[in-house]
Amino acid sequence: MKSKKIFCFVKRLLIFLLSVFAYGCAENERGDKIVFVSLAWQEQSLATHKSIVAEWNELHADKPVEYVQSNWNSIHDYLITSFETGDVPDVFHYESSIIVDFALRGNLANMDTLLSDEFKRDIHESAWKSVKSADGSISGAPFLLESMVVIYNQNHFRERGIVPPTFEEPWDWNKLREIAKALTIDSNKDGWPERYGASIGLRSSANILLNLGIGYGSDFFENKNNERGVVIDSVDIQYLNMIKEIIFEDKSISPTSVTQSGPGTIPSFINGKNSMLIGIGTWARQQLVENAPQELEWGVLVPIKEKNQNQAANSQTLSIPAKSKNKKDAAKFIEFFLSKENMAKLAKSDWMSPTRISLLQSDQFQTPQYGWAICTYIVDKLIVGKWLTLPGYAEWKSRVANPLFQEYFSNRMSSKEFKLRMEEESKYVFSRYKR
Amino acid sequence: MKNLFFGASKNILLILYLLFLAFPLLWVLSLSFKSSMEIYSGIPNLIPLAPTTQNYYSVFFDQNILKSMSNSFIVGIISSIGVVLISIPASYSLVRYKTYLNKGILGWILVSQIFPVILIMVPLYMILRNLGLTDSLYGLSIVYIVWTLPFVLWMMQGYVKAIPIELEEAALIDGASRRQVIFKVIMPLLLPGIAASALFAFITAWNEFFFALVLMKSQDLITLPVDLARFTGMEGQARTGPLAAASIIATIPSLIIFSIIQKWFTSGLVSGAVKE
Amino acid sequence: MIQKKSYSSFDINQLKLLIPVLIPVIVLSVFPLIRGIYLGFTDYRLGSPIQFNGFDNYVNMLNDIYFWKSFQVGFLWTFIVTFLQIILGLGLAVLLNSKMRLTKLSRVIILIPWAMPPIIRGIMWKLMYDVDSGVFNYLLIDMGIINQPINWLNSFEWAIPSIIVVGVWGEMPKAAIFILAGLQTMSKNLFEAARLDGANAWQEFRYIILPHLKPVLAAVISLSFIWNFNTFGLVWVLTQGGPGGTTRLPMLAAYEEAFRYGNVGYAAAIGNVVVIAVSVALYFYLRHQFKQRLV
Repeated sequence: MKSKKIFCFVKRLLIFLLSVFAYGCAENERGDKIVFVSLAWQEQSLATHKSIVAEWNELHADKPVEYVQSNWNSIHDYLITSFETGDVPDVFHYESSIIVDFALRGNLANMDTLLSDEFKRDIHESAWKSVKSADGSISGAPFLLESMVVIYNQNHFRERGIVPPTFEEPWDWNKLREIAKALTIDSNKDGWPERYGASIGLRSSANILLNLGIGYGSDFFENKNNERGVVIDSVDIQYLNMIKEIIFEDKSISPTSVTQSGPGTIPSFINGKNSMLIGIGTWARQQLVENAPQELEWGVLVPIKEKNQNQAANSQTLSIPAKSKNKKDAAKFIEFFLSKENMAKLAKSDWMSPTRISLLQSDQFQTPQYGWAICTYIVDKLIVGKWLTLPGYAEWKSRVANPLFQEYFSNRMSSKEFKLRMEEESKYVFSRYKR
Repeated sequence: MKNLFFGASKNILLILYLLFLAFPLLWVLSLSFKSSMEIYSGIPNLIPLAPTTQNYYSVFFDQNILKSMSNSFIVGIISSIGVVLISIPASYSLVRYKTYLNKGILGWILVSQIFPVILIMVPLYMILRNLGLTDSLYGLSIVYIVWTLPFVLWMMQGYVKAIPIELEEAALIDGASRRQVIFKVIMPLLLPGIAASALFAFITAWNEFFFALVLMKSQDLITLPVDLARFTGMEGQARTGPLAAASIIATIPSLIIFSIIQKWFTSGLVSGAVKE
Repeated sequence: MIQKKSYSSFDINQLKLLIPVLIPVIVLSVFPLIRGIYLGFTDYRLGSPIQFNGFDNYVNMLNDIYFWKSFQVGFLWTFIVTFLQIILGLGLAVLLNSKMRLTKLSRVIILIPWAMPPIIRGIMWKLMYDVDSGVFNYLLIDMGIINQPINWLNSFEWAIPSIIVVGVWGEMPKAAIFILAGLQTMSKNLFEAARLDGANAWQEFRYIILPHLKPVLAAVISLSFIWNFNTFGLVWVLTQGGPGGTTRLPMLAAYEEAFRYGNVGYAAAIGNVVVIAVSVALYFYLRHQFKQRLV
């Protein structure tokens, strides 16, 4: 009697366990909704997103969009677990340098076949460059361009009689260096200026240094025997040392700023403790508009031209996971979401350049007000970074490049040691990704 | 004279401790009443120059934090009740019987506390989905029950050990069943430990981020810590003012619960963890 | 009926009582854990098939400078934070155990750090450490101690001390509560006897309080040790392991391996090594403390 009971119990338990551990047998049905994971976080941008989604839902009651507000800090973990479990959203917002990795792992649908020609034709070539894989497939629809600019304090410029450069006659690094010196104020001559000519947020140094390097002619990466690797040549060292000299010899870039993130340098700009923000994203303008006092007049500088004015294309994107069951509708929604009118609203509320050619040519993005014309001008200068689509780039950036740049810029190693360690450690990290 | 000196220095010491522990909260309280322009101005006054309730307004109406707070509350309550109910008989049996199961459970307690949670997320998710428990507050509660169990079991069996076996024997002789023994005799004696365990489970659920992020897909079901993360943005930026306001709102409920149960709690924690 | 048995292999009555615990634990914890541990013996990389590769991960780990560095940082962090929070927690508990006007209110106030989600703890301290608008730089410059703001969380010199302060702040209350409860179980007679013998405050602490607290302290220390070694969220919010990897604790390293670089197999192998390292450390510590069983 008792043993039978136990037997029954064990049997039931076994069946239960088997059904539980059967890997991936239950398909998740999320119905006819299009799940859209968004990264909007500023008040204005959030409102824009929500109103566009509401508009879609009114027009497409049979295929409503569920708006999911995620955030930049946890989207990565959210997506990785989604891809691994197969429980994916239908559309998600992220950025080009990262989704290229997802595409390599086969997590994303190729958008080339999903988007209409009409839509594709109107997106600027620079933007497409940032999302194209080696095989020509497209990992996402680029809609905001994250380009870098120099923002300056107009009051300080006027006070020193400095006239900002023009499109025809841009500054080179030497000129910028001179200006930064002229803007620096150290009235008691103690070597600790009360006001610095500029600040440069080098916390995520690899990203910004590689980008600023392109225009200088410094490229860090080289192709050897069909293999990309890091080679530090004399131009690279010259470029890095030049920035170091501005910091430590001229003392016209704030040394504290070097340890900060880009956004971290904005408050001291607002307080007038530095006169220029070098290598800051165009989105920083939003912080200035919202948080700077009325008296602070600021502008965007025409990009520095050493060899050229190029920088690496990097965009914010909307992508469709390969496992989405609503790919076609998702693509339709993306095109609706990024219609000319909507993209203009999105670009304005996030303070980044739109990717539609028709918008870039329109007056609202050609106006000199808030530096829009300069931001638009840069769009033509965007090229593909040599490091894009390089397997292991993410690890290289956080394990090798950022730490070594940081150490180099805090004057803790010689250029010889820097070259040696950079090349050695890069080789080590990239070798992990070769099979 | 000497005593007076000792008393004074003791008070000063205690005040220093309190300042250290409570100052961050005061700081955030002050931030929560500042406009974003004042926060950016770089002068950290403890008393805001122009106090504003805008941040609180934005937290309650734009982000609807009440919804995620109520979700967190539900999950906290379910998991604290759940973990207590299943750990009472379990800890009892771990004390009264000595088998290889005890050793197995000890091993599990250690490994589960140390192994990185991120790496078990995917298999856990698969299992929960097969059970239909993803995107569900119950599913999340069950996960929290399992994740607080190691610590709770460790504590609870300490209490059980402290209960004289004669009490049970007397009840059994009077004809009580084992279930009655556990719930009528043992449980009342375990109350302080139960309170402590429940509080521990509640706080753990209230604070947990990663499981909640991955398991909850619907907007209506997210919990408080996940909601709070929404005030952060690109490249480490954050909407500081609203975030500060939300932090204050999020901390207060657990502080209130703490102050209610703290007496039970102080006596509860220790006998479980220590008595052999 | 009920007897304390010596170790037997199995008892059906125990199993019955344990079932409500065993089922969820096996389904939701043991199985995922076994799977995680197994991954540590594979070359699993996101987007590629899973292949068993024996001890390859561990062999690679021997030459992995990043891994060794993070382990080193991990032990440094764990020892210092555990030590400080126990010492400070002990002091706080002794204060709270004496009769003072403030003690009742204090017992709630000291719990503030624990009552906050770790994400808020991190962000809050980040704001206080902020270079331009943080309170520390403001005060130190105001008092003339420094003339340039310090980027506490991102300078090679200050990053570790800065996160240690936050770690101690967050965990000390828990330690204090444990120890306080231990103190409250002491009988007053012990103190009176000591006082009659003419013991001073230090002797009283050294020869009466400490020995009595020994088991409490052992439990608190081992739990804190595990929890501190496993710190992730707090430090991730504060420094993300920077600058230059100086604050990359083992859990951050495992997280980055798995989620940022996609090397899940290797990350799981790090997890396995951590389990073994912490268990060994605990084993020796507890054996020394108790010379008896843990549970």
